[in-house]
Amino acid sequence: MPEEDLPPQPEYSEDGVDLSLIRWMLSLTPAERLVFLQRQINAILKIRRLNGG
Amino acid sequence: MADSDFLAGLKALQAAGVEFIVVGGLAAVLNGAPVQTYDLDVVHARNDENIAKLVCALESLDAIYRMQPARRLRPNASHLSSAGHHNLIASCGPLDVLGAIGTGLSYEDLLPHTTEMEIGSGARVRVLNLAKIITLKEELAGEKDLAVLPLLRRTLKEKERAAENPNCV
Repeated sequence: MPEEDLPPQPEYSEDGVDLSLIRWMLSLTPAERLVFLQRQINAILKIRRLNGG
Repeated sequence: MADSDFLAGLKALQAAGVEFIVVGGLAAVLNGAPVQTYDLDVVHARNDENIAKLVCALESLDAIYRMQPARRLRPNASHLSSAGHHNLIASCGPLDVLGAIGTGLSYEDLLPHTTEMEIGSGARVRVLNLAKIITLKEELAGEKDLAVLPLLRRTLKEKERAAENPNCV
């Protein structure tokens, strides 16, 4: 397969931090980061409730 | 149990005219760190006028102490004038109102290390900078603090890199 057809490889720092996730977060505005966090928490709490936790 | 609603909590504080700084996990997220948090941590100015506003805001949020919730103990002006930590549960979820953090750092001490951010619906809040969050966590050095430090340090590096090369984020 030609190199240009390969998906980009994940990029981690030497201490194992996912740099693509940080870069994606930094591409958002603070308001968008807040919405993202809120959605994540709501989803986690919903799953917990569904599982009786 | 009250679900977290960060924006509602922040807007209530702002609407009451409270002087406060967002710290902790939410401050890290607003600065771009991909971490998770369930509570809203704020450090408030402890002058009489601000504490009176804070008491009103906390009443509007139906905030009570999380410990022994059956007592429904509400924070009053005397409680909030101390440097202590007030771990509350409110209509916006868990809300930690902190008189001081780290080595006794007050609102005024932290103010030079903050940035005002737009957080949606026209609300703007003061948020502790990532570099100061990292310093505080390094000083605390608890297991929870140490665990998140690599992520915070790397986020700060990436932010600095992006600031130097604005077209490469």
